[in-house]
Amino acid sequence: MNVGTFARRRVDGTHPVDEWGLDADVVALVAPLVGLRWRVEAHWPERVPATGPAVLVHNRVLGLSEPVVLARGVHRATGRPVRTPGLVDVAPIATVGRMLGAVVDRPDELTGLLRAGHLVGLPLGRDLPRRAGPLAAAALAPALATGAAVVPVALVGSEVGRRWRLLVGEPVAHPDGRGPLAVADLVDAARAGVQALLDSATDHLAGLP
Amino acid sequence: MRVLLTGMGGELGTRVTNLLEADEQVEAIVGVDIDPPRGRIPEARFHRVDPRDRARTVAVVRDLEPTAVVHLGVYEPSARVPARTAATLSEASALVALGAAAQCVSLDRIVVRSGIEVYGRPRGGPQRPDETVHPRPTTPWGRTLARVEEVAAQAAVAADVPVTILRLAPVVGPHIPSPLGRYLRLPAVPVSAVADPPFSLLHQEDAAAAVVRALHAGVDGTVNVVGPGAVTPFQAVRLGGRIPIPTLGLGWLAARAGCELVGAPLPAHVIELLTRGRGADGARGAEVLGRAPVRSTVDVVHDLYEWAEIVHLDVAHRPLDETASAKPMRSGWRVGSEDV
Repeated sequence: MNVGTFARRRVDGTHPVDEWGLDADVVALVAPLVGLRWRVEAHWPERVPATGPAVLVHNRVLGLSEPVVLARGVHRATGRPVRTPGLVDVAPIATVGRMLGAVVDRPDELTGLLRAGHLVGLPLGRDLPRRAGPLAAAALAPALATGAAVVPVALVGSEVGRRWRLLVGEPVAHPDGRGPLAVADLVDAARAGVQALLDSATDHLAGLP
Repeated sequence: MRVLLTGMGGELGTRVTNLLEADEQVEAIVGVDIDPPRGRIPEARFHRVDPRDRARTVAVVRDLEPTAVVHLGVYEPSARVPARTAATLSEASALVALGAAAQCVSLDRIVVRSGIEVYGRPRGGPQRPDETVHPRPTTPWGRTLARVEEVAAQAAVAADVPVTILRLAPVVGPHIPSPLGRYLRLPAVPVSAVADPPFSLLHQEDAAAAVVRALHAGVDGTVNVVGPGAVTPFQAVRLGGRIPIPTLGLGWLAARAGCELVGAPLPAHVIELLTRGRGADGARGAEVLGRAPVRSTVDVVHDLYEWAEIVHLDVAHRPLDETASAKPMRSGWRVGSEDV
């Protein structure tokens, strides 16, 4: 998007804004700047559903770069925006965050996003590099309730580095039953999927000359 | 079906009346309100009654012996009535009309107009709450709606009938008395300098269709009815070609006073919409009512600004036969912006 088009649409009010505040024009405007800081190499991005709702369960270390890396990698590979929970709901941070795709971290908000067919990034707890952190046993209840795909994603890179790799796993099969135990099983399977991807990334690096 | 319709004098109430008049399943419609209907109602009967006049309202209800109540008699602050009396009127209307109807053995369903303002916008709350989210109203209008819902639920329990509570997104339009509509049509509009949150609206035709659907469905429960899409305050103001004035902190006090001075008072729930946003998930409403609103929020904003203006015609230049056949009221000028 060129600056002229951006400015004209801003002035006449025709820029697109969705119900959660995502502003596609602002995202397109800052994308080149994001590219200067992070270079993302996506592996198997075709495993992200082309349409319909999905939860992208991913690892994080500090959690500063990971949401941006995930959103940029998936958007470049599939053209779909990723919603990031964890919005600080205080202006003007909330205003900018919403424009870029952040949402408040609440189960009902995530359920609404999935019901509307969006991609939602769900971070595991902070942990050491190459280790899948913990995840609350009920965290994937919105995915089970809406029938959304659960896709494990590994993010490999360092906070001070520019190069990151994004590895997408096969979607995790939903358990047969419903209820809290089924959600806990789904969470365990998603975590195991992320850890397997991280292990495979480590093995791949070990095999390099 | 014999229908008691409160709030018939509002734009929505009059439109719903017209739809029910064309409905073969409806044998009688009786309306009550503080204002007369805003259009012709060939079939329905209307009683101009102040809801605080309990005896008269009860007499009208008992005389009809309704099988259904459509309660649209909720009064948004600074819309049709001043903010200071809106809550009293809304609560009196719900108490008297629903309470009296609940005492009629003929009653078999209740439909109540509420609003998504009832959810409130607490910090960290959901941007698009669904019906499972417990209401936490944060403005006087939201608290009024919560009390109306409570009275409706009590009446439904007392009469042992289903009650459908419709939480409508703000309904604005060129002919609807609404503080948000008046505010957005100001030539220069105060908007937050630091927040530009999305909000969703509902077209009055979609709102009226939802009320009629709910009346026929007769389901017991609460549903959100929200137009698709969203706009931000800055965007809405620019879509209308108005000038946005960035406002911050105490500046809102001045903005509020200025708006009130020019006839567009800003009640708390409108300021909340402008600074915190307003939305709700209408998926369940579409499923339960079997119809989703078709006009988007952007369409509603465009409609709001396409307000017909008075166009003066030069009578001397009109063809003779047209002038002769024209009705007297159209001979000198007419309302509308169409090419003449």
